Parts: sequence; C-alpha cells; structure tokens
Amino acid sequence: MRVLIVDDEKLARDRLRELLNDIGGYTVVGEAMNGSEAVEKTAALNPDVLLMDIRMPGMDGLEAAMHLMGMENPPSVIFTTAYDQHALDAFDVNAVDYLLKPIRKDRLAKALSKAHKLTMKQLAEVNQARPEPTVRTHISVHLRGNIRLVPVPEILYFLADSKYVVVRTPTEEHLIEDSLVNLEEEFGERFLRIHRNALVATGSIKGIEKSPDGTWQVSLKGLENKLDVSRRHTAQVRRWARNRPMNA
Amino acid sequence: MELSEKNRLRLARVKHGFARIEQRLDALLPPTEAPSEKNAEFLPNFCTGWVVFNVVVVAEMLAIVINLVIPRNLLSSSSFQDLLLISLFIQWVALAGTTVLCYTRKYLNRLPNLRALGMAYLLLLLTTFAVSECAIWLLWLTKKIGTPRPEWYADFHILTLTISAIINGLLLRFFVAKHELTQRTLSETRAKMQALQSRIRPHFVFNSLNIIASLTRREPEKAEAAIEDMADLFRMMLSEDETLVPVKNEIDVANKYLALEALRLDNRLTVNWDVGKFPRKAVMPVLTLQPLLENAIRHGIEELPAGGVVDVRLWDENDKIHIRITNPVPKTRAKLTKTSHVQSLENIRRRFHSHYGDLATLTDSEENDHFTVTVVLPTRGGNP
Repeated sequence: MRVLIVDDEKLARDRLRELLNDIGGYTVVGEAMNGSEAVEKTAALNPDVLLMDIRMPGMDGLEAAMHLMGMENPPSVIFTTAYDQHALDAFDVNAVDYLLKPIRKDRLAKALSKAHKLTMKQLAEVNQARPEPTVRTHISVHLRGNIRLVPVPEILYFLADSKYVVVRTPTEEHLIEDSLVNLEEEFGERFLRIHRNALVATGSIKGIEKSPDGTWQVSLKGLENKLDVSRRHTAQVRRWARNRPMNA
Repeated sequence: MELSEKNRLRLARVKHGFARIEQRLDALLPPTEAPSEKNAEFLPNFCTGWVVFNVVVVAEMLAIVINLVIPRNLLSSSSFQDLLLISLFIQWVALAGTTVLCYTRKYLNRLPNLRALGMAYLLLLLTTFAVSECAIWLLWLTKKIGTPRPEWYADFHILTLTISAIINGLLLRFFVAKHELTQRTLSETRAKMQALQSRIRPHFVFNSLNIIASLTRREPEKAEAAIEDMADLFRMMLSEDETLVPVKNEIDVANKYLALEALRLDNRLTVNWDVGKFPRKAVMPVLTLQPLLENAIRHGIEELPAGGVVDVRLWDENDKIHIRITNPVPKTRAKLTKTSHVQSLENIRRRFHSHYGDLATLTDSEENDHFTVTVVLPTRGGNP
C-alpha cells in the first residue's frame, strides 16, 4: 500500500515513517509539508492513502482533502491531529478516520487496515462543526484526470454558464462544477455579485462605467472585455463603489 | 430512535478513547470552549428523599417548639396528644409546601431570581392557608366542631400564616445564601480554569509530546532535554501564584519554550534577541514573555510555509521595562484568524492589568505583513 505523509513538522513526519516501517507492508511514496503540496504530490505519486495533519500553514488538511475528493479516484485520507476538539467530535459523528498525536503504532496499524474514502458531505459537515470553518485558499480544477490548484487571490471572476462555472484568471479560463450561490457564500468577503450569473473579485475591479445604452459595466484589471451589471444588482454595485477604500 | 445532534456529539465524545497519558493531561486541560455560562439553579430539587426527610425533621422540631410554648393541655387532655395534633398539622403544611415547590420548581427557576423567590414565598403561604382551611373542614366534617366558621376561625388563620411567613422567610433566606455561595464557587472555578487554559495550549502540549516520541528513537539526548524543558515550563504554568521574577529568569523560561517550538518548527523558526541592560531589581510577572512569543509563533510563523524571524527586543527606559516583539504574518489572513489573535492578546492584557492596573500598557500594530506588540511594564511589581 502506497502512503503519502503530510505534516508541516519534520519530526512528526519522521515518526510516521518509522512507525510505518515497524508495521511493515507499507511504502512511503513521499512527504508533503502543506495542503497544496499534498494535492500536487497525490496527483503525481498516486498514493492509496494519505496520513495528513489538519493544522498546516497555507492550505490546511481539511481543504486539501476537499480538493482531493474531486479527483476521479481519490485516495483514502486519515487525519492526524494534536488537539482540535471540534473537529474530532465531528469526525466521530461522521465516521472519518483520524489519529491523535502522539501517534501510537497499534492505532496507526488499525486505522490503515480499515482506511476508507471520504465524501464531500463528511468533509463539509466536519468543516461546519469547527469554530472557524476553513475557507478554501484555492479552487481545484480538473484537467484530463489531472488536478490543478488555482489560488483564490488570482481569480478575477466566476461566471455561471449553464451547468458549469467559468473561473477566470488574468491568463486562463477554467470550468468547475459548483454553484455561484455556494461560491458567494464561501468567498463573499472578497467577491461581489454584479449579475445573476457573475461574481467579481472586488480587488480586481478597475472601474464601473455607464455604457451608451444606459446599462452599467464593470472593467477589470488586466482584461479587455467588460462585464455587465444587471439592473437588479446596479444599486448594490454602486453602493460598494461609493464605500470602497481608496487604495483598494 | 432519532438522537438529537447534541446528544450524538456527546455520545461521540464519550466514545472517544484517549491513551493513558493523554487522559491524564486531559484531566488537567479544560476544553477549548469557554466553560458553560449556565448558572446553578436557584431553588434546589424538593422532590428528592433527602430533602423531604430534612423538611420532616425541621417541621417536627417546629412542632415540638410550639408545643413547649403553648399553655399545657390546650388542645386535649394531655400534652403528648397536643404534640401529636400540632405535628400532624405542621407535617401536612410542610409536606404540601414541599410538593408544591417540587412541581413548580421547573417553572420558578426560569424566572429572574427575585421573582422566583417572591413566587415561592407566595405559594408557600397559599399552601399554608389551604391546609389550614382543610383542617377546619375536616374538623367540621368529623363533627368535632359545629360550623366550618368557628369563632376562632380568623385567629387560627392569622396564627398559622404568621408562623408560616416567619419560618418560610428564614428557609428562603437560607436558599438565597446557599445559592450565592454556589455561584461564587462556580465563578471562581471558571476563572481558574480560564487562567490555566490561557497558559497551557493543548495543541502545543500534544504536538510537543509527539515530537518527543519521535526524538526518543534517533536522538535520545535531544528528547531528554526536551522533556526537561517541558517539565520546567509546566511547573511554571501550573503554579497557582503569579510571582514576580527577575528579567533574566523570565528570559530563561522563554528560551525553554522556544527550544521546544524550534524542535517542532525546525528551520522555520528563527528568533533574534536584543536584550538591553536592566537594573537588578527589575522584575516582571512570571510567564510574561512566553505567551507573547507563543502568539508570535501561533499566528505568525506557524501560518507561514517558509517560517520567518521573530524579533524580540527588551530594554530599560525611564525606569520601565519595554518589550517589543515583531513577527511576520501571512499576507491574506482570514478575518476569523485575526479575531482569535486579538482574543489571545486581550487575555494577556487582562493579566497585566491584574498585576499593575493602568501602569502597564500593551499596544499592537500591523504593517507590511508584520505584526508588532509592544509592552511597557513598571520595573517594580505594582499591585501584588
């Protein structure tokens, strides 16, 4: 069985490696220091199971697991944690595998032998149970079975297009399966709804202009084309424009 | 059967099997959330056998006292029969009152304390009146008296109600005092738990133990040193009294803490010390630096994949101890992370306030992805 170890602490990774060695029958295919590295290495190394810390800098373990679950054949995930009472309660309720640090050999062996795949629903419930639910730092995009992470600060806008949502960065366009309602709920702090089908990153708005036919349009930094503001959202967009900080 | 969400969580918590050492530590460490704010119930449970027994005993004593003060053979031919009659009546009143409070307690405890008290008092007086009335009717029905309104009717009610008013007043006063005592004990325990928790962070404890477990195999000497550091730190954190220690000692403690964090964070953590000269009399509360450094690591270095440098400067100026700690923070910090950061600074500020009143200051600022906290303390210990 191929194992990927994910923890930001080197000595914690060493310990897992040694315990796996003691148990035998497992191959450590790699190590990652944070969530985004874990996603990249999973795509590259194709492990069967991840031993992953929850609290990590950059992207945490829960977010990494959410991205992984979108893969075609996701690995099993066993979370490791020192102390996170809220997450642990939710793990128990949702039957998610986890190990408490300091990690014990017998527990590790048992968890590995019965490791099973997570579902998005489990993860969402665990996340909601925490006092500070994780807001994704990246959006995962699936390209021909591969996984790509797009950092949220790079995203200019989300545009709903029938079944999919277009994710636009200064250089690329991707399609994801999600709903604008969910995205707005999660990233509402950084994005502004300007149309029934469009969420725009407030940081990327260059200006708001009135077109000759009387409708309003938003121009974005680094993009030629402008986005329409629907009549229903005009008041809200103009209110935002009036209150925006000068340096934004 | 559908279990409520809360019960499911509770069940899950119960099912949770911790290893032995973790269990011991858990006994020391309170849960992360603030202890429940629910107050102790104002009125005790009157439905228990123990309370009923107590009521019976008190009522009987009252009966004996009354029997001692009334003229001999007032009610019947012997004073023993008098006692029986008085006891019978008082036990009726007492048990009826207990029953009434037993059934209305749930409702009364929902009221504000003063109104619950008033209602309980009123209910007890009403019960007394009702039992007295019943007693008269019983006498009339058993043909002991000729009319349900004998000439002593008013006197009897006034007598029973007066006695009931006095005894129940005393009783309720006792409950108020007992309630206040429970409340005070509760809030003291809560404060102690919070103080302890602000000093020991479970996340740090268990991560350190995991690291030590890892070191024991390959580098036993390092593991040994780590355990010693941890023991010293815990001794400080668990001590009840907040003593004032020389600046140098406090720096020693901080270094022990940093040694443990350095094991954990490896090359991600660098600390630059710049310590000025201090007069020998300069003291500060024990564990002043450690929580400030813990904040710098928890909300700064730990959140950065590449880590960073924590700058610590201590200097003496105008006979005051100045501490300035600067650490890098992630560029885009979630709003909630900031809230918990602010919260932990607030805890530290409160501690300084309890030591020095307004003589100590703690200020913080964030600029260019760097967070700085500056503390100014009097050189001598302020209020003990």
